[in-house]
Amino acid sequence: MTIDAVYLLQLTLNGLALGLLYALIAVGLSLIFGVMEIINFAHGELLMLGAFAMTFALPVMGLLYWPALVVAVITIGLAGYVIYELLLAPLKPDEFERSILITLGLSIIIIHVMQYFFTATPRMVDTQYGFEGVNIGSIRITWTRVIGAGAALAAFGGLYLVLRHTQFGRAMRAIAQNREAALMVGIRPRVVARNAVVLASALCGLAGAAIAPIQLVTPYMGQFLIFKAFALVIIGGLGNIPGAIVAALGLGLVESWIGGFFEIVWQEAAVFLIMIAVLFVRPDGLFKSGGMRVG
Amino acid sequence: MNRLPLLLGIVAALAFAALPLVTTSNYVIGVGISALVFTVAAAALNLIYGFTGLLSFAQLGFWGIGGYATALTVVTFGGTFWQGLVWAALLNAVVALAIGYPTLRTGRHAFVIVTLTFALLVTLVARDWVDLTRGPLGIPDLPRPSAFGHRFASTAHYYWVAWGFSVLMLAFLYALCSSRIGRTLVAIKQNEPLVRAQGISPMPYKLAAFAISAAVTGAAGGVYTFHLGIIDPLFLDFYYMQTFLIIVIIGGAGSFWGVVAAGVALSALPEVLRFSADLRMIIYGVILVAAMFVMPSGIAGWLRERRLQRMREALR
Amino acid sequence: MSALLEVTDLRKSYAGVHALDGVSLSVEAGSITGLIGPNGSGKSTAIDCISGFQKRDGGRIVLAGRDISGLPAHHIARAGLMRTFQTVRIYERLSLRDNLAIAAQQFDPATWLDEFLRTRRYRDAVAAAEGRARELVELIGLQRYWEIETGILSYGQKKLVALAAALMPRPRIVVLDEPVAGVNPSRIREIEAALAALNRAGETFLIVEHNVEFITNLCHRVIVLDQGRKLAEGTAQEIHTDPRVLEAYLGMTPEMAEAEMRGAA
Repeated sequence: MTIDAVYLLQLTLNGLALGLLYALIAVGLSLIFGVMEIINFAHGELLMLGAFAMTFALPVMGLLYWPALVVAVITIGLAGYVIYELLLAPLKPDEFERSILITLGLSIIIIHVMQYFFTATPRMVDTQYGFEGVNIGSIRITWTRVIGAGAALAAFGGLYLVLRHTQFGRAMRAIAQNREAALMVGIRPRVVARNAVVLASALCGLAGAAIAPIQLVTPYMGQFLIFKAFALVIIGGLGNIPGAIVAALGLGLVESWIGGFFEIVWQEAAVFLIMIAVLFVRPDGLFKSGGMRVG
Repeated sequence: MNRLPLLLGIVAALAFAALPLVTTSNYVIGVGISALVFTVAAAALNLIYGFTGLLSFAQLGFWGIGGYATALTVVTFGGTFWQGLVWAALLNAVVALAIGYPTLRTGRHAFVIVTLTFALLVTLVARDWVDLTRGPLGIPDLPRPSAFGHRFASTAHYYWVAWGFSVLMLAFLYALCSSRIGRTLVAIKQNEPLVRAQGISPMPYKLAAFAISAAVTGAAGGVYTFHLGIIDPLFLDFYYMQTFLIIVIIGGAGSFWGVVAAGVALSALPEVLRFSADLRMIIYGVILVAAMFVMPSGIAGWLRERRLQRMREALR
Repeated sequence: MSALLEVTDLRKSYAGVHALDGVSLSVEAGSITGLIGPNGSGKSTAIDCISGFQKRDGGRIVLAGRDISGLPAHHIARAGLMRTFQTVRIYERLSLRDNLAIAAQQFDPATWLDEFLRTRRYRDAVAAAEGRARELVELIGLQRYWEIETGILSYGQKKLVALAAALMPRPRIVVLDEPVAGVNPSRIREIEAALAALNRAGETFLIVEHNVEFITNLCHRVIVLDQGRKLAEGTAQEIHTDPRVLEAYLGMTPEMAEAEMRGAA
């Protein structure tokens, strides 16, 4: 088996794009866990809603990419706000199993409501960029992919700045690090938690909106991705944001390379096997968890 | 322990045995088989979640592995249905120990996620490892089992196989839950540091509960598979996991009889809610969320709270 | 006669801070020994390290001649060192009877097979445990709650339950972590009386406490920790007047402290 350099490059680029997508989802999960100590099972559905929002916004905005993207992200951020106020606000940090079951129920409701109203027929949506793209040698990358990746990178950059340099972000890190101490200095957990959920939802919405022009949109699309995001959060260390990003990029690359050479079943199994292996060796995840470190 | 629920349980079991004698409708008998098998699976989930406090989504994976193991034993490896059930139980116990050992050392957060990922992985393997599982086509035409020269071919006759299996499994789980082991599991759920301070190591108990719940769920999957007559990746539909969960939650996590009663009552639910698959699922989701807000400890928990209130008042 | 519990040069640091900086202490069999010190002196850390709930960084712990340093908590309990917790730990959803039964479970020879077959060994073990449980329940005066869920008891009553549970397996030594913290004064008298009675019957206690009066009334010997080191050791009277202790605790001279304590009594 001769390994073609171009093929490998293509796989690597695909892997990185995939990794960025995984990272957007995993970071949101990690953020919510760090602040609230709960796992949001409906996270994948937020992505799916973002994708659907994009499919509705694009035709309305005359296929203009950026306005539609902004609309989608804001919509999902608002959805996160509503979800927090209605379902998550009453939860206490120790009610882990209860939070899972609530968000699981929510996930079921969202998927099937969407399926009921919009059927499971996959949707395709077009943007102003159509299928145009950029050519690097014999590799072709569509603009939608490039912009999607760029938006993701920008989002991470923005998140870093927010967590490091704003009051808003510092409060989140304080709660994640030491809840009691944070409460003592007057940080209000409800506000911080709500902000974290809105932020995480917006990231998911961005991921969904970025995917919408690239692949088929169905009510189940979040489900396929979410369990990998869960595994990534474990591998990177619960509540550890850089860990989640590194794990996500790593997984994207690993899956892409494996998929390029082996059967698809191994591609899917990869994340699970890696997770179990990591847990054997380092029960707290690859990177030391405990509070949200931002580098 | 109060003997009344046990007596009622025995009476109910005997009543259930009579089902094929009072109706000839294959449909109703089929619902009966579902009720029995789902109750067993829910009772197994109750052991690991209700009693030990570990929310395991792996049950779906064990259910699926059990179904496939039983089917493959008969179809590919030329064994009997009964041997298939034993393999289903053993294989799942081993798998549970393998994933349980690293995961239980970490903590309850990781445990939930790992079990979920495991279940989804099993679904993918069922679909993609075509050489073993025949992929999306599945394995059809599963023959009904026979014993002592008699073939349990009809639905009514197979019902008694399911009945015998369920009564046996539930009796075993009851004995376990009311023993010292069951009591220790409850203690671990309530206050693990205290358990350690009293000289008990929690790990072997958690592993044992996980492995036993896996084995029982796997065998239940095998029994259900041969009722359906076919196994394919749809057997791993998350709908089954939701059903088991809802039974445990409504009945009351940690209450043996609560879950058994709920299992029997709620198994008829899917049939009642047959009008639209999506609406049915939406109702499931709503029930799940509502129960978490209104009755997180289920009906058994609510009854217990009332009893406690009366006791508190009496002691003042 | 060597001591029942011998701790030598115990060390523990977190993030560069020496919580325990070479603490050595010993507890004689049949005694009630107090362990006191200002906040942050390392008392709770010492207890956690001795009982196996935290990993120590150095030092040796010997119980009745057996080296238990570094063993996991459940092994140390089986070796005969039982402990209670600062924030009371009992099985709130179980009855008093079940609480005490579980506390004895690990220490009888019956296995699950014995239970399943209801062998003689099992029945004898259960009867013996029940007998001991009833004795202890009478001592702490909670007979009417025998079948009642312990969750409904008051805080002080729960502390008594925790004490009884720790005594169920007839341990060599019981380590109490702040047994009267947060308990109302009349209940404190009860606990004091119970401990004194148990000690007369032969039980050995190591008590970590803040309540100076409680320690003074009960303890034969008192050990004082400060900033991770042993500051002083002696009878309660000696400790009361030791200038180093007063300085560490209160930053006062003996006269000021006398006046302080008289005022507080």
